[in-house]
Amino acid sequence: MSRPGLGTALLGLALAALSHPDLAGPLVRALGLQAGTPVPAGRLAWLAGRHLTLALGGFALAGGLGVALGILATRAAGARLRGAIETLAAAAQAAPPVVVIGLALPLLGFGAPPTLLALAAYGLMPVLRGTLDALATVPAEVRGAAAAIGMTPDQILWRVELPLAAGPILEALRVVMLLAVATAALGALAGAPTLGTPIVVGLQNQNGLHLVQGAAAAAGLAFLADAAFQAARALARRWV
Amino acid sequence: MIRHASPFPLALAVLAAAALIGLPLLTLAPNRLVPGMPQAGGPVAGAAAVLALIAGFLIAVARGRPGHAAAGGVAALAALAALGLAAGAVAGGLFDSLSLAVEYRGRAGAVNAAILQHLGLSAAALVLAGLVAVPLALARLGGGRAGRVADGLIGGVQVVPALALFAGLVSALSALLAVAPALRGLGLAAIGPTPAVIGTAAYLLLPLVRSLAAGLAAPEPAVLDAARAVGLTPRQELLRVRLPLGAPILVGGVRVAAVQSIGLSTLGGLVGAGGLGAVVFEGMAQFAADLILLGALPVVLLSLAADRLLARFGARFALAGGAA
Repeated sequence: MSRPGLGTALLGLALAALSHPDLAGPLVRALGLQAGTPVPAGRLAWLAGRHLTLALGGFALAGGLGVALGILATRAAGARLRGAIETLAAAAQAAPPVVVIGLALPLLGFGAPPTLLALAAYGLMPVLRGTLDALATVPAEVRGAAAAIGMTPDQILWRVELPLAAGPILEALRVVMLLAVATAALGALAGAPTLGTPIVVGLQNQNGLHLVQGAAAAAGLAFLADAAFQAARALARRWV
Repeated sequence: MIRHASPFPLALAVLAAAALIGLPLLTLAPNRLVPGMPQAGGPVAGAAAVLALIAGFLIAVARGRPGHAAAGGVAALAALAALGLAAGAVAGGLFDSLSLAVEYRGRAGAVNAAILQHLGLSAAALVLAGLVAVPLALARLGGGRAGRVADGLIGGVQVVPALALFAGLVSALSALLAVAPALRGLGLAAIGPTPAVIGTAAYLLLPLVRSLAAGLAAPEPAVLDAARAVGLTPRQELLRVRLPLGAPILVGGVRVAAVQSIGLSTLGGLVGAGGLGAVVFEGMAQFAADLILLGALPVVLLSLAADRLLARFGARFALAGGAA
């Protein structure tokens, strides 16, 4: 495909447009749903900004830590950690993000912290797993050849292993970024202002307009984030 | 296989250490909750949470070997137990974490009903997704345009935040029921199990369709040629050759889908479907740690149980396939 993410971006823009009160209002009334007061466009934009900040914070935590631990576990010094990582990866999947947010709520209080913890906890293992699997695809002969021509372990990591494993690592990061954007919506349950907030309010007050606006905006943001990641990856690939 | 000594003494030791380090810190926090004035545990509680995670991690290190999924369960339980202890301590004084037991005794009936409801929601979503996945996997196997369109849709659903999809389904179902009220007679409703089951099933399509298609494509071309040579019809080839040989891959996909289904059904509590999610959300609304735990722990336990059960089933399948 010549323009990666273009279709995804258009879908995201369409959904974002749909969340605008001038578009969502008539639609909701035409469908015969209960339309209460709309969410003003400015408020939606502010919520989207908070949502994105929260998601990117969680993504940075999970992604940075995940890749770093993945590299550590594949070095000779950290080989013992590998088994633990594999088992924790299975365990992490058993606690869904809603449950992590719920459990963290009494500990960390309302707002962003429990959501950030859930984002980091839920995203860490997929990145770690993806990094381990990606580094495992680098053939041992290639590593041996690099060592034979006199490269230091650091040089082998940065010039051989990471470039060769970049594709699958980026794919794991993309999945976790999408997880972060999706899970950040749940932050609304812990009182963090996100695009999930109109949805939760809409469900409580049976306001179909809030529901449609929140759903369209949250889904639109997720598609736009996916498109942005794909475009950035394609750009990076062209430069390298 | 040589087994290490039981992991439990070690687990208990690590937990005790975590508790010993954590509890004095917790008592420092003047965190008696005033009704209607929820307060955060702050950095102290954060430290307790980190301790809990470290406890779980240490246990996993001590016990963990690749493929030893049971250790993951032990680690998760230990971490959760420590987290629960800390949560109980923050919410209502040190030894009131025993109140979880009291809370359960008071609500046993409601919680047991919620567990059954939760299992019903998860199973219904799994069955619905399975029914939709079969034709989609066959279309994918055929390799036509329909397969590619289905692939795009299934992948697109994964991008949509679950909360947004559930909300969208509630809106879509209300609109549909406003146009065709007769559908109410079939048990469809905009609020309740209907959006929860449909929404959960939508996310399960990816693991199910992928594993089913991969499983059906697993047999070697030579095996398929042989099947055709002995005169099997395409239908017989599918049911007697492709399905049995691909079964281990399929069971792996069902395992992932089942764990996801139990997790996602928790969100059903938001759209009035009940289940353990309703208990968790009620606890969050009241800022009641006991109630949150009472809903959250069974979700985690059910997920781990489903995972172990299907892993064992898959291993038996693979063995039986190898012996045949």
